[in-house]
Amino acid sequence: MVRPITLPKLGQSEEEGKIVKWRKREGDAVAKGDILFEIETDKAVLEVESYFEGTLLKIVVPEGQTVPIQSLVGFMGNPGEPIPEVKQPAPPPPKVEAAPPAAPAPVREVTRPAAPRPVARELSVSPAPAPPAAPPAPTLFRISPRAARLAKASGIDPAPISGTGPLGRVVEADVKAYLTAKGYDRLRITPAAKGLAIKEGIDVFSLQGTGEGGRVAVADVERAIAEKPKPMSKMRQIIAQRLTHSYTTQPHFFVTVAVDMTDLVAFRAELKAKGAAYTVTDFILEAVTLALTELPTVNSSTDGKTVRWHSKVQLGLAVALEQGLVVPVIRNADDLTLAEIHERATELTAKARAGKLTSDEMTGSTFTISNMGMLDVENFTAIINPGEGAILAVSSTLKTPVVKDDKIAIRSIMKMTLSSDHRLIDGALAARFVNAIKQKLEEISLWRRMV
Amino acid sequence: METYGVVVIGAGPGGYPAAIRAAQLGASVALVEKEEFGGTCLNWGCIPTKTLIASSDLYAQIQSAGRMGLKVTGASFDYAAMVARKDQVVGTLRNGVKQLLAANGVKVFQGTASLLTRNRLMVAPASGQATFLGAEKTIIATGATSAMPNFLPRQARVVESRAFLDLKAVPSTVLVLGGGIIGCEFACLLAQLNVKVTVVELLEDIIWGLDADVRRELRRHMEKALGIRILTGKTLENIAADDQGVRGTVGAEKVEAEMLLAALGRQPVTEGLRLESAGLSTNSKGFIEVDEYGRTQVATIYAIGDVTGGVQLAHAATSQGLVAAENACGRPLRKNEKIIPSCIFTNPEIGVVGLSEQEAQQAGKAVITGKFMFAALGKALAAGHPQGFVKWIADAATDQLLGAAAVGSHATELIAEAAAVIRAELTGTELGHTIHAHPTLAEIWMEAAHALEGEPIHSAPRKKK
Repeated sequence: MVRPITLPKLGQSEEEGKIVKWRKREGDAVAKGDILFEIETDKAVLEVESYFEGTLLKIVVPEGQTVPIQSLVGFMGNPGEPIPEVKQPAPPPPKVEAAPPAAPAPVREVTRPAAPRPVARELSVSPAPAPPAAPPAPTLFRISPRAARLAKASGIDPAPISGTGPLGRVVEADVKAYLTAKGYDRLRITPAAKGLAIKEGIDVFSLQGTGEGGRVAVADVERAIAEKPKPMSKMRQIIAQRLTHSYTTQPHFFVTVAVDMTDLVAFRAELKAKGAAYTVTDFILEAVTLALTELPTVNSSTDGKTVRWHSKVQLGLAVALEQGLVVPVIRNADDLTLAEIHERATELTAKARAGKLTSDEMTGSTFTISNMGMLDVENFTAIINPGEGAILAVSSTLKTPVVKDDKIAIRSIMKMTLSSDHRLIDGALAARFVNAIKQKLEEISLWRRMV
Repeated sequence: METYGVVVIGAGPGGYPAAIRAAQLGASVALVEKEEFGGTCLNWGCIPTKTLIASSDLYAQIQSAGRMGLKVTGASFDYAAMVARKDQVVGTLRNGVKQLLAANGVKVFQGTASLLTRNRLMVAPASGQATFLGAEKTIIATGATSAMPNFLPRQARVVESRAFLDLKAVPSTVLVLGGGIIGCEFACLLAQLNVKVTVVELLEDIIWGLDADVRRELRRHMEKALGIRILTGKTLENIAADDQGVRGTVGAEKVEAEMLLAALGRQPVTEGLRLESAGLSTNSKGFIEVDEYGRTQVATIYAIGDVTGGVQLAHAATSQGLVAAENACGRPLRKNEKIIPSCIFTNPEIGVVGLSEQEAQQAGKAVITGKFMFAALGKALAAGHPQGFVKWIADAATDQLLGAAAVGSHATELIAEAAAVIRAELTGTELGHTIHAHPTLAEIWMEAAHALEGEPIHSAPRKKK
């Protein structure tokens, strides 16, 4: 019997694959489990093994060609058997964002979930005049209700099964053949574990057993359930979108300085003793505001074609929450005194932690500060908030041996790293900017004048 | 100084199987015991109490033989003879242990072991010269002993379970302090021998931690049928003892008895071991902490059984002993202790395994239970034991059997099936489809499984709520 070989589905998102190498030549005998060919996707190169014995009669898709998944790539059978005539499958159509329209067909169409591992597909076809070419819409998966019911009751994912019904529809016999081929009878799984897998839609073949003799126990299924991909919270999805957009469209450039905070820390303690409770963040916010006024180019943004300068400093302050991160904005920071900045920062941080920020309070920043000082880090880099030109990453103040007046001294050192949009901000400007902040933080006389 | 591959300290139900297993695996093994072979279980625990309970059960049955159509008159008991039989049973088993050890080539040392370093120890016999042993690996299996807190008067009439077992005559009244497993077992044993028993328990109920349904059934029988007075949620205060008896107060009430049996839990035995010489220490409760391979803080030293805390049961110690022996002989094996059946030899008997209904709920599961009464089971009625029930605890979402409890005649034997079933992760439906022989008591598990699905054949369906 001549059996077509098709390109298996390899992962969640792959829709096409390139055959990089045929391991067997036409006319070669193939044993079950032999590697037939290698394919390349955006992510990896994978080997595809044969599920049955026979001879590789014909290679339809040659090495180096990319085809949609499920495409017919070759034929296996007994030597001398007539091979159905096929046209070379067309290269994949341009990707369309919208889902394919659901046609009112007498078959069930489901989106194909990921296959557990690459396998070659088996299709039994009679040498009929109609060539068993790859279906035109490869993402459609056709399965009969009986077959779907058996797959579900067996706790398996029917996606890797190739159908022998019309249009490649999977029928009950295909599911049975698949179960036999995969050794379903030899599967060691406890009854409760199997019940749970069926209920949760976990493919029992994907489970790793840790019970005696590799038996799959309830704990193994529970682990698989815990590992199932779950949708991210809306908040995280927005974070993901914005971070990816920023990092892939704004060329980031990093520059780090070490600030000697010893005197400022002492000054802060002095103020605290007098009843004025400023935080280190307050001083940084003020120092950054002053530096942005001195070097206004940093308070700009670009879309790659135009530059937009912001006349006022709208200072974003990243606040970590349990579920993610929000950036409340201190409006017109350049108009505020240190005491006012302290007041605004305290108020906004409290609102952020309580989840009570309005969307107005979170939009329109022109520069952002991300402070991980409380998290015991030496140094880090931040990703620029979309629509801004730079972001300052502030790390912990750590006692460090440094050279001061040609002597080794123990000082409280805080590292700051500026991430800047290199299209807008040159290296020299970035260096001047971070050093301007550093200078201010180290100059106590400045702060004495302010409070 | 002789050096052994494995030295086991303590020949209880954890220590002697560990020694035998290590010998089977080819190690040269020494076993040190300061008292009797077989440990607490064989000498002062499981075996002697079950021997006495067998006598008292039979006596109670004879007294109620009229129910079964038998005429028995003049039945009485000779407590000294019962104790003699107990000593004979214990002696037989103890010899069996010794023979097994000899047959497996385990070298036995009698005396108290003290660690000198992590690889060397000293065995000091009651009299005579001390022996020094080298040990590549050491397994500490020193067990536990009954607690005798300081507030108890030190008097011959105030005893813990071990001393109580050696009494030659049974007192006519006993005050049992502590309504845990040991306290309740003794209370039932004594009540069946016509002793007037009062149990005082600090917690809200006897055998706290047991399934609430089971507790209720046990307590009702102890109070109603056996006439045991049970005072819970109360402390025994102003305890005094003299040659006449023991007195105390429970709240405003005065209580007195010929003897006081203290059943207040068990403490680990580490005295004289000199753990610190090997770099070992105990936790705040005095137990030696071990990991899932039975290893202590010191790589070459293992500890098993009661001295490690956790589940203080002979069969748990045996399982841990076998695991430790495998590991000590270089064959890595983890403890498998999720499913440990627990048997309580009260009247009625109790067997539990897996999660209780309350534990399953606390674990965040949607719980369903299936209960079936012995009163509705042919064999139980025929045999004259209509009392009690079994109960399955299952996960409503998956039908998985998570736990089981049995209370009634032969409950301690019946629980074995439930242990195997729960470990194999069977579902209620499957157990319900498993054919059980008729007429047997074991059928009750199948009936209870049907009840889980709300479709029992041999009891009326529950009214829909």
